[in-house]
Amino acid sequence: MKLDRRQFIQRAAATSAVATAGAMFPGISFGDWPKLTGNSGMVSWQKAPCRFCGTGCGVLVGVSDGKAVAVKGDPNCSVNKGLCCMKGYHSVQALYGSDRLKKAQVRKNGQMVEVPIQEALDLVAEKLQQTKDKHGKDSVAIYGSGQWTIPDGYVASKLFKGCLGTNNVEANARLCMASAVTGFMTSFGIDEPMGCYEDMDHANVFITWGNNMAEMHPVLFSRMLANRKRRTNVQIIDFATRMTRTSQAADKSIFFKPQTDLAVANAICYEIIANDWVNWNFVGEHVSFHKGKTNIGYGTEDHFAFTDKAESIDFEEFKTFLADYTPEKVEKISGVSAKDIKYMAALYGDPSVKVTSFWCMGMNQHTRGTWINNLVYNIHLLTGKISTPGNSPFSLTGQPSACGTVREVGTLTHKLPHGVVMKEAHRKMAAEIWEVPVENIDPKPTYHTVEMFRALDRGDIKFIWIQVTNPMVTMPNLKRYRDGALKDDRFVVVSDVYPTPTTDIADVILPAAMWIEQEGMFGNSERRTQHFAQIVDPPGDAMSDTWQIIEVARRLGFEKQFPWSEKDYIEKIWEEYRRFHSGPKHEMAPYSVLSERSGVQWPFVNGKETRWRFNPKYDPACTNGKDFDFYGKKDNRAWIWARPYEPAAESPDSEYPFWLNTGRVIEHWHTGSMTRRVPVLHNAVPSSYVELHPEDAAELGVVNGEKVKIISRRGEIIMPAQINGRGVPPQGMVFVPFFDESYLINEVTLDAFCPISKQPDYKKCAVRLEKA
Amino acid sequence: MKRSEKRDRLVVTAVAAFCCLGVVMGGVGAFAADINLDDFDHQGRKIYVASDETPAFFMSAESGDRNLAGFYSLRQYPGSPPWIPHPVDLTFSGDETDCLSCHAKGGYSQEFGKFVPITPHPENILCYQCHAQVTTEELFVKTDWKSIDPPRLGRPFLGGSPPPIPHSLQLRENCIACHTGPGAVVEIRVAHAARGNCRQCHVPALQTAPMQEFHRK
Repeated sequence: MKLDRRQFIQRAAATSAVATAGAMFPGISFGDWPKLTGNSGMVSWQKAPCRFCGTGCGVLVGVSDGKAVAVKGDPNCSVNKGLCCMKGYHSVQALYGSDRLKKAQVRKNGQMVEVPIQEALDLVAEKLQQTKDKHGKDSVAIYGSGQWTIPDGYVASKLFKGCLGTNNVEANARLCMASAVTGFMTSFGIDEPMGCYEDMDHANVFITWGNNMAEMHPVLFSRMLANRKRRTNVQIIDFATRMTRTSQAADKSIFFKPQTDLAVANAICYEIIANDWVNWNFVGEHVSFHKGKTNIGYGTEDHFAFTDKAESIDFEEFKTFLADYTPEKVEKISGVSAKDIKYMAALYGDPSVKVTSFWCMGMNQHTRGTWINNLVYNIHLLTGKISTPGNSPFSLTGQPSACGTVREVGTLTHKLPHGVVMKEAHRKMAAEIWEVPVENIDPKPTYHTVEMFRALDRGDIKFIWIQVTNPMVTMPNLKRYRDGALKDDRFVVVSDVYPTPTTDIADVILPAAMWIEQEGMFGNSERRTQHFAQIVDPPGDAMSDTWQIIEVARRLGFEKQFPWSEKDYIEKIWEEYRRFHSGPKHEMAPYSVLSERSGVQWPFVNGKETRWRFNPKYDPACTNGKDFDFYGKKDNRAWIWARPYEPAAESPDSEYPFWLNTGRVIEHWHTGSMTRRVPVLHNAVPSSYVELHPEDAAELGVVNGEKVKIISRRGEIIMPAQINGRGVPPQGMVFVPFFDESYLINEVTLDAFCPISKQPDYKKCAVRLEKA
Repeated sequence: MKRSEKRDRLVVTAVAAFCCLGVVMGGVGAFAADINLDDFDHQGRKIYVASDETPAFFMSAESGDRNLAGFYSLRQYPGSPPWIPHPVDLTFSGDETDCLSCHAKGGYSQEFGKFVPITPHPENILCYQCHAQVTTEELFVKTDWKSIDPPRLGRPFLGGSPPPIPHSLQLRENCIACHTGPGAVVEIRVAHAARGNCRQCHVPALQTAPMQEFHRK
């Protein structure tokens, strides 16, 4: 009786609805609505962190009949307090693209053939062993990402560094967060932000350094806007190279020429000292001054090596160094008026104003990325605006677990879960926890990401396993690395969820479980570890990346190191990994706590999360009895660095007169392999384009939508122009979003990197334009 | 014929309404107590604010401009943020003046020839964070995505009893915004909005969640 009535109403509603919708919205199929048949109609909700950026929003995933059907913001998660962005709200749709990889494939006679996944894993193990035997341990490599769950990265590091004995472990976070890490390590001796998102509810001034937060971290940006609306004394300063939606929302935009942020940051310090806005108590107690090498190069040649050397200086030497950076001199370099420089300095210098600086790829993807991170810390340290609510130099991340998996687990060539391979004590600790001989762990780092793909091209690496990332879209100077990977005796294994330009070059494709199809943890920008249970089943043979590695490790004879059962391997791996971080500086929450809460911040000491580090009011690791304790450095001080302005690796000249800048749009995340399979996101931005300044477009003779050829010394690409769109570059610059695999802009970009962090600069190279 | 006469009268009313609606829907802050509960269930004050500040003649106005079919055709699943169904400028910044100038207060839009739907959450001002501006209907690849059914309407527990609220209140705490006035979807418009205290009679009972039964322990 009940069912009959329900069916009747359903049918009646559907029929009239389809008719009406068809008339009102031609082409839009309202008939899709009642598609999920046979379900009970019940939706259950389970917590997870969002799959996309490093903000780490808590979401509640609605599940009906075994399928993820809806998303709500998790009101219990302090990150986003119940709000998501358009990617988060539609994230579950990214699980259901019709071309989802469900079967393993191996290349047989040049053709990819579907095989049972166990057979593919046999082949992976066999090839890995063969390559290692024939060409040595450093001929095999694994390349993962900041979208690896924490257990994914942990087992990868354990297998490659601990068992196979090679430091050929890298992750795409090298392309996005490496300069942030070296910035933290050089300034504070310990990685990751001292503050947290709560800073936004206290700060009076927000300065975004080359950071289009309105599109890239929209949930955080809207929290800033809400604060500006609610409190009267809040303003947002957009310090940028290009006009964006962040500029539109900001109280003031200040535009600088690419690379000159270095000079402007120094000029701000000059002004702070010249006006005696220095917080002398803080500087005297908690800061020491240093300088490093200069003219440090750009890494465009193979085997490039650089090691910085720190020298102590005193305040007077630092002041003398800054004499080259008066606002008037810097105006000439940067294009920022001396007045605007003084204005920014006055905001940082005003003791009654709390300032939070935000940055992400603009400062990290920079051939002097470590330096510019240091320089922004310098400003906060000179004024003592740090480690207190609202005073926060805040480095944002772009991937859901760049912090959790790459920086904390240490899935980089020189890193271990605790410390670095170069230090014996750290190797001993890892060997003990991993139950491997300490000699297994090689004390010498091998290749950072760019050099790893160069080694693959040269043939030094013959076997590479790529998981959860799409380097055949994201590597700069892409053509060289694709050609290299395709060479005859290279063996490429790719674990992914959809076909991509990277699976196109694979010899084996392993179908992976995605996001909530497996249990795991991510770690977001504010030191928050976020656990998610397996909420839905993976399709076909798809298997978690962690379990794929375990399967291969066992085939290689490492059953002892990988003993876990499929039932509780994530819990067991977490509890093993947690031992690396015990102690008040980095204690992680136990599994039982993580599985209950919508994220937990570390250090998690005596049942309490640490919101502001280095401040004894909040941080139990502070022991010096003073008002701050910068315990990361041996001298218990934060380091101010004298770092000069040096030009970009390649600047526009008469032959290639334009800057090329690349980045993202709000709708798409990274290479678009997930977001382009979300109908509404693809419908919003179906393809990439090149943003031009209207004057440059007129000069070139193109109007909106007409094709432009972009040519660099590495390659060329033809794509449609966008003029006066949502972003407008200044004259002499073009901007291209990189999500679209049909327009591989990275064939044009340059593989120059910061010599300290080895992170490439995707924001600056020289191109010329032609009307196509 | 009759309908168009009614429409003309409404336009006049609505234009008048638009002029005097300057502060409608915005002043939640005045009610903000010291106890600030972020919990969406505790933001019911928005109903009282909206109810107080929306003139009765606006609440009771009717246009027939929007129906449920159109409402759902903008959404990927019940409760997802709708995409923007009208052209917006390419430089679209989505800030307050762009979206909220119409969608905070409602009223008649000359440009689109319709009454404007009112957002239930005007305090969130970064509109494009969630609402996409769609430019094509083609897909990148086909999708196997299936949505659940939208909640069905009415369905009181007893004949004649007030129907429960079939959707989550999260970001939809303000009943007045969507369920009253000429911009409301006709099938879910209420005729008795002036009573003000909606949740006096209507309780949230999601049809998609299992019914909780009381058992004495």
